[in-house]
Amino acid sequence: MLYLELFLSFVMIGFTSFGGMSMIPLINDEMLSHGWMTAQEVADIVAIAEMTPGPLGLNCATFAGMRTGGILGAAAASVGVLLPSLSLCLIAAIFMERFKESKLMGHALYGIRPVCIGMIAAVVIQQSMVNYAGTWLLGISWQALIIGAAALVLLIVLKWSVPKTIVVSAALGLLFGVLFG
Amino acid sequence: MDQKQRSRLPDVFINFLKFGCFTFGGGWSIVAQIQKEYVEKKRWITDEELLDFTSVGRSIPGLMIGNASVLFGHHVAGIPGALLALLGIVLPPFAIMIAVTFIYGLVKDNAYVSYAMMGVRAAVVPIIISAMVKLFKAGMKDVFCYLIALGGLVLCLFTGISNVLIVVIGAAAGLIYMEVKERHAVS
Repeated sequence: MLYLELFLSFVMIGFTSFGGMSMIPLINDEMLSHGWMTAQEVADIVAIAEMTPGPLGLNCATFAGMRTGGILGAAAASVGVLLPSLSLCLIAAIFMERFKESKLMGHALYGIRPVCIGMIAAVVIQQSMVNYAGTWLLGISWQALIIGAAALVLLIVLKWSVPKTIVVSAALGLLFGVLFG
Repeated sequence: MDQKQRSRLPDVFINFLKFGCFTFGGGWSIVAQIQKEYVEKKRWITDEELLDFTSVGRSIPGLMIGNASVLFGHHVAGIPGALLALLGIVLPPFAIMIAVTFIYGLVKDNAYVSYAMMGVRAAVVPIIISAMVKLFKAGMKDVFCYLIALGGLVLCLFTGISNVLIVVIGAAAGLIYMEVKERHAVS
């Protein structure tokens, strides 16, 4: 049964990964071993998932499900990849609410909060290397840098919302692309 | 579930549908959007709580965006809130991907699409920075916090240690530090 297979396959991907790029090798293995996609298609889907809004894992699930089993397949795969959020995370949410006032929880969070800030900073550095520079820091894109600087001013100084900033950045990208190709 | 929580459900669902249309850059843009809508504008949660949802969401398997939505939704409107937040954040990308599978060939190598995407990708880092700047004050209370943050940054950048383990190390460091600090205060 294809739907069940899609569902189970993405349940496994969901539970054994932590989002983003860490999902790619797992998705790759599952797609190839079931013969649902070729390696080239997996590479394409990663590129397309980056272009469309939404988490990579969900976009891959929707695309793989759609290609193999239509809309029902897409739904089965998506619910599968969301199962950790629906189960483990819901339990964690209930747990967090219950122990919110506990002293130990407060102490643990005192360390967790800054470590998370450090991890966000790491993402900023990693994403900067991908989005503003070419391979091995060669070929820094001045167009991307200008758009990035503009977006920073829009968000922090002018306090624009994220959607508005994204739309303007896309328009600037289009403008630069058409002008300078 | 009380009246206040129930009255929040439509707001959560509609806003998360909106967030879902603009979640580029691996989940951090939803943090920036929640910050603006629910910390600054509506004041339903604090920066500290948002930071907690983010860290816990990151350390649970699955999609961080989905996890953070569930944690936020449950906090403001119970289990129905969690489910509606998740559904809201997931529906737009789901619908868009279904459309994209039909025009896959057109989108894949289209120059205009890739120009616009260059612009969107260039905005991802500023979006993450704008979220981080606001969460910074919530997480950084003393020198210990700066050291821990630096540790998290270094571990994340230069080692292959998983995010979960880094969060666990942070939790352990917090427990030990606060214990020592309290004993010190007593003696």
